[in-house]
Amino acid sequence: MLWAALLLPPGPDGAPPSDEALRGVATWALQFTPRVATSEEAVLLELEASARLFGGKRALRDRILQEGADQGVIALAWATNSLAAHLLARAGIENGFKRPLEELLDALPMRVLTAVAPHEGILSRLGCRTLGDVRWLPRGGVSRRFDKLLLGALDRAYGLQPEAHVWVELPETFDARLELMSRVEMAPALLFGARRLLLQMCGWLAARHSGTTAFTLKWAHDVMRSKEAGQGGEITIRTAEPSRNLEHLCRLRAEHLAKTELKAPVGELWLDATEVVSLDEKSASLLPDEAQQGESLQLVLERIAARLGPDRVLRPVLTEDHRLEWMQMWQPVPMPLPRKTARKAAEPLAMPQPTWVLPTPLKLATRGHRPLYQGVLHLLTGPHRVEGGWWHRLGEGCDATTGHVQRDYWVALSEHAGVLWIYQERLASEETAWYLHGVFA
Amino acid sequence: MSAVLSWAGDDDGLPTQALVHPSRSRSRRSQPGELPPEIEQAIWRGCDLGAQAGEVVSSGFEALDAELPGGGWPCQSIAEVLSPQPSVLEWRVIGPALRAIVATGRNVVVVGPPKTPHLPGLRHSGIDEKHLVWVRADTPAERLWCTEQLVKSGACGALVAWLPQARPEQIRRLQVCAQACEGPVFLFRPAAAQHEASAASLRVMATFALDWEIQVHVLKRRGPTHEGVVRLRSVPGGLESVLTPRLQMPSRLIATREGAPRDGTHHAPARPALSEGAARPVVHEAAVHALGGATPSARARRRATVR
Repeated sequence: MLWAALLLPPGPDGAPPSDEALRGVATWALQFTPRVATSEEAVLLELEASARLFGGKRALRDRILQEGADQGVIALAWATNSLAAHLLARAGIENGFKRPLEELLDALPMRVLTAVAPHEGILSRLGCRTLGDVRWLPRGGVSRRFDKLLLGALDRAYGLQPEAHVWVELPETFDARLELMSRVEMAPALLFGARRLLLQMCGWLAARHSGTTAFTLKWAHDVMRSKEAGQGGEITIRTAEPSRNLEHLCRLRAEHLAKTELKAPVGELWLDATEVVSLDEKSASLLPDEAQQGESLQLVLERIAARLGPDRVLRPVLTEDHRLEWMQMWQPVPMPLPRKTARKAAEPLAMPQPTWVLPTPLKLATRGHRPLYQGVLHLLTGPHRVEGGWWHRLGEGCDATTGHVQRDYWVALSEHAGVLWIYQERLASEETAWYLHGVFA
Repeated sequence: MSAVLSWAGDDDGLPTQALVHPSRSRSRRSQPGELPPEIEQAIWRGCDLGAQAGEVVSSGFEALDAELPGGGWPCQSIAEVLSPQPSVLEWRVIGPALRAIVATGRNVVVVGPPKTPHLPGLRHSGIDEKHLVWVRADTPAERLWCTEQLVKSGACGALVAWLPQARPEQIRRLQVCAQACEGPVFLFRPAAAQHEASAASLRVMATFALDWEIQVHVLKRRGPTHEGVVRLRSVPGGLESVLTPRLQMPSRLIATREGAPRDGTHHAPARPALSEGAARPVVHEAAVHALGGATPSARARRRATVR
């Protein structure tokens, strides 16, 4: 068993730290292990099973030490049971594995054990100074003259009796409060306090395997404020993707706070995770994951469709039609392709077709019966007659027309505009007109 | 540095050999200041074509591959293709490379093209409907944003984007993002952009030529400057099958036609037949293919008779 004890600082008047502060640190600690308990002024963690996930004991210890310091933890100790870790933390010894536990504990002053406190006077008059002295007193006499708690606590600390803990449970929603140490007048100076709250939120999100897409930072103005300042203010920060990356969230929040102006000094901060969605983390496997690629294209197209609109991220569908306008349709990407196009796609390609089409054919000017488009066009090959579509009804009611076309397509060459796909159409009264419809690019 | 010194030392004795390719100058081993062969191989000299750091996708044109560092379009980098006019030759330049990409089952994403892509024509470049996505981004800001998102995701097999109004710093940003992108990223830009600096590792200028050719001039690459143009034969959209021998060189055809006195009946709208004898179309109820007139395919004939 690998136990860690994190000691929180006492309040300003020597009172033990508030439940809220303990709960905050416990929430943050739940990202490392589900076995988190609080006892007096300490938060206790059982980390044996998590060490490998976080990159080994050394890396885990460094991370807890660093992030714990941001949370206001003043001492950290490791031992094989929680009470011993707690006692070592109080005595300021970090590593409980350096020497045998009995040796370490025997040398501690007896004050560190809370159960000693009611009997401290008698024990000191008996000549006891350290825990070792108390332990060497005869057990029968101790149990008769003092209460059971003292012997029980000693046995648990030395690992002779099992311990029982009430595990801290993860709250369903996250909101944390922080009273600032001093009144803050500039919004960017809130960063320090808000970072501690964000750290707790990231721990909570990690324990719930989630990420946040929106979180709200609220602040309450000091009591000594001008009347028009109001109670306080809040900003809601939104992210495009669910995230629980502390640095990313801190950066976002710093950007927002830089634009905020405080109307009065601020004494308290709250942080709410407003929108929480589950977040799949990347597998930390050694071999890169191939299957991830296709999924990620879907994701990025979804994101683009969310911004531009679903009708602007399109996939083509071939239809069996000879008219250029109806040869293909475009449909939003998420829709499945119709199955019958598979047969069509397998057909060999016989017909030349342009690679660009104009949404509506462009009527060309003519000079001496020759069409003009950026100069005179030279007709290369043709005609390719496309006729049909009388069955195709467009529109409704009396404005209904048919999609009937009767066109002679030609491949035309322009010195500047490339190879073009133009057609000649018969108009009323024996007139004809040339239209540009596509480009062979 | 020592390579430079050896050139300087050679100047008095053999000035012409100073710039000789290292493999050919190996016979002068005995001279002082000569590098051991294994070190010499590791040195990249400015007169050699550089190697691309990442993978490359062959452009499909041997002549162009020979001029591109690494022998193809670069992956994990941006390739800028400049052309005087949009929507004239894009698919002809990159089509053969896209064919290889689609053949491996990866997607081609097209951002902000100037006209509607036409899939039946693109199928001649091997692109099918399962592997083409068209992002209709209209404003420059939307195009940039979409391009950046797609480049960052690195998920598309090839990204083809039209960014006529991108500024150099925006291109640089895309180039940095593209280093994590597996496929090639093609940016099509107007020819005027050649006077701007660009962070793209490869820039080519592609122009259209009459005789079923495109002319490519490499503006920027890892290696010596490219002089002249590479002429690449490319017949777009399946026109190869309908080109008669006379049509193989349209420039000559045009020259003779322009030189000849203007004949009013020659291009009469009622009979726009050319001298190579395109037959008058036979009209059926449905479409009839009379392209080239000489040999309509058996399939087309069968289809016409069925209908």
